[in-house]
Amino acid sequence: MADRYYNPFQTYDINVPVEFHDAFTRYCQRSNRVIIDQSPFPRMVDLWFLSVCVAARLDLEPVDIPKSKTTKIAEGIIFSSDPWRIHVLMLIAIAKTGDVHIVSKPNDIMKLASGLSVAGLSKVIEMLQDGDDVPIWNLSESIDEILRKK
Amino acid sequence: MMKLLRAEFENFRMLRDLELQFSSEPDRKLTVIRAANESGKTTILHALQWALYGDDALPSKGQGFRLHPIDWNARDGQRVPIIAKVEFEMTTSTYRRVSGGLRKTRQRYLLVRSAYENMDSQEPRLASTVNLFALSDSGASPIDAPESLINEELPLELREVFFTDGDRALSFIEAEVARSTKRGRVQRAIRSLLGLGVLDDALKHVRKSSSEANKKAKQIGKGSELNQIASRLEVVTNDLEKLEIDLEDAKQQFGVFDEKVDEIDRSIAIALQKGAGNKEKLQKDLDRTKHEIKYLDAQLEAAYKEHSALFRSRSIAADLLAPLLGRAFEKLDELHDQGEIPNTTIPVLQDRLSAEVCICGETLKASNAGGEKRRAHIQELIEKAQRADEVQEMITGLYYGTKELQIDRGAQSSMWLEDYKKVVKHRDGIQTLRDEAGRKFRGLELQLDSLPDTDIQSLRETRRRYKDQRDRYLSEQSVIETRLASLQREHDDLKIQSKRLLSEQEKGARILAELEVIQDVTKILQGAYEQITDEELQKVSELMNSIFLEMIGADPEQGAIIRRAEISREFDIIVYGPNDRTLDPDRDLNGASRRALTLAFILALTKISEVEAPNVIDTPLGMTSGYVKRSILRTAIQRSAQLVLFLTHDEIAGCEDIIDEAAGMVYTLTNPAHYPKMLLNDPNVVERKVLRCECNHRSDCKLCRRRMDAQADLEIR
Repeated sequence: MADRYYNPFQTYDINVPVEFHDAFTRYCQRSNRVIIDQSPFPRMVDLWFLSVCVAARLDLEPVDIPKSKTTKIAEGIIFSSDPWRIHVLMLIAIAKTGDVHIVSKPNDIMKLASGLSVAGLSKVIEMLQDGDDVPIWNLSESIDEILRKK
Repeated sequence: MMKLLRAEFENFRMLRDLELQFSSEPDRKLTVIRAANESGKTTILHALQWALYGDDALPSKGQGFRLHPIDWNARDGQRVPIIAKVEFEMTTSTYRRVSGGLRKTRQRYLLVRSAYENMDSQEPRLASTVNLFALSDSGASPIDAPESLINEELPLELREVFFTDGDRALSFIEAEVARSTKRGRVQRAIRSLLGLGVLDDALKHVRKSSSEANKKAKQIGKGSELNQIASRLEVVTNDLEKLEIDLEDAKQQFGVFDEKVDEIDRSIAIALQKGAGNKEKLQKDLDRTKHEIKYLDAQLEAAYKEHSALFRSRSIAADLLAPLLGRAFEKLDELHDQGEIPNTTIPVLQDRLSAEVCICGETLKASNAGGEKRRAHIQELIEKAQRADEVQEMITGLYYGTKELQIDRGAQSSMWLEDYKKVVKHRDGIQTLRDEAGRKFRGLELQLDSLPDTDIQSLRETRRRYKDQRDRYLSEQSVIETRLASLQREHDDLKIQSKRLLSEQEKGARILAELEVIQDVTKILQGAYEQITDEELQKVSELMNSIFLEMIGADPEQGAIIRRAEISREFDIIVYGPNDRTLDPDRDLNGASRRALTLAFILALTKISEVEAPNVIDTPLGMTSGYVKRSILRTAIQRSAQLVLFLTHDEIAGCEDIIDEAAGMVYTLTNPAHYPKMLLNDPNVVERKVLRCECNHRSDCKLCRRRMDAQADLEIR
């Protein structure tokens, strides 16, 4: 990797199942007038990435969804603004497959991450909704609980 | 590039007969017109703009705005001719293929605008007539459609940027004006600067084409599913267009009532200030609490953002993934221990080839048969390693690039939980203060309601009505936005269905191709629109910040509290203090800084727009003094292509040497009505009119000599 910030996913689309489209609209900040407490995620990719991490943490099985039943929420170029996420996706793939050479297969890494995000999305939505407070606090408390369980 | 050369006005309010010249020399681009208050400065600004743009450039678009002198004598005629002439120069650079170089051409123009007002009629004046002439040694040749030439060089929308009233310019930031109004002003200036109107028009045109294509789809197979979908799409598209208009209307109405509420608040404040004792104290308390609430709201907003940022932080990923990533790091550590990170095979082999001696000591000389064979083998090893090297390079990058994540992993406690604790403490702390301030404000409002003052109570009632209206439009805005979102989804679904059905139809292929092109063009236009807005806004913001800091840099008092200024994506001009705390321009910035900020905004806009045109500024240095005043003047001279300043005697004081250095022309305007209170000598003029003399910033004459301030004070007493 000559350039530390080389983004192997820049030509990929980030897709999610169509049925999650509303959740992305509801919980991500799409305009300036949004109430942050109700929509805690600055961008759609942040909800997607957290779902990947939650699925990995809870050891959920990746779910494969045919492309025709998905909708695009972002483009892979978006990772260039948070390059550490590129590395995290690679590390998850190495940990899951046990193969370090997977780093040269962005397609496989993206497929795994997409599968994990689908598995994790329902859980994150549940975390946002379960509780007596607004989504941002419900989610914060749920993450707090998960992290305390070592 | 456009430069003003000369202007002449006849019967334009106080300018009965006035001629002005402007310096156009590149090394002396400053013109100073010295004039005391009420000596026609604002009238000249209006007159210049009227000459260039007509009634549209006047207050209220000229409606009810008298042009003729107020003391016009009917004996001189019932019909008053009003004339404005502006002579300017345009320099253009054209590339000549034949000579292969740039050629500069200069052309002088004379713009003449005239109108008549009837003294004996209440009818509004007829539209003015405008003519433009290209001037040359051989005479003047008329030019068709003068408006288009003017608009090209000095767009009407940028009028306020190029012709600036120092006090009015503060409207971009002044706290008294509703936020939506200020935002609208900045947005309008930036939008016109970027020429976004062209992109808007193009998008509308493309949308129309999309509707046309849909109509064609409707014609295919009457009564078929495609026909039904196309019909529904047509209805939804129409509804979308109507709703977008309604949304714009609701936004505008919200702005109007927001402004009215602010106006009433100001009137209540004035009424309270006039009242003695309790009322005055109540006003002070209200004012203080309002500012406290505003400050705390800004702090809360920042705290919400901080909370939200926790969900996109590296610490949440590192903590959640800590159990899993351990396996990945172990794999990487193994490779590192095996010496495969970093990979050093290729450099060693290449080094051996250059040295022509193998690691085992055998020769690698190409001239030797054995050496050549061994050389070919090493070459093969290098190529093989190079193929594997790409992967190894990525792994090496990953190993070193994730060092920070490994450190996070090694931490005993959760980084995210630590961050979360801090955010909760911060948010809760500000929220408590905000709740207290809110309670205090409600208490003060109750006190206000119980005041036995009918004027104030009537204002309060009006305020309630306006506030209700404002809130109604805000709620309407939210309803429309929700309906728009749902309609947009229906529209998108119908489009997908229509596309599918078209692809099944033989006749549909062409329409489908057409729709795809339309979709691509829309995407490109929208992308361009957003990119231009983002990039150019950023450029204006950065340049404004650097000019602003340059202007106020020498002020130790302001230097200690102001860190930077920016234009947000919502078109708000924001000033930040230490720890990124937002500052209130009215409370935290002194008059000089406020003026510097607005001038910095105007100069940055001018620069980024690449429209090289004169900046004509009235009282730019009001409320400024000392080094900051000098710094504002120097920066404005340096950043303008041509600068015309209307300065009072006070503004000039302390800046004489800068004017000596930069001004190509300085003269003085006098209002004879100032005699005897402010003028020393009687100008012997009966009419109200502005007079000009050639006195510069260091001299005076019989006409313009003024009484010393102390003397004037004595006279008044």
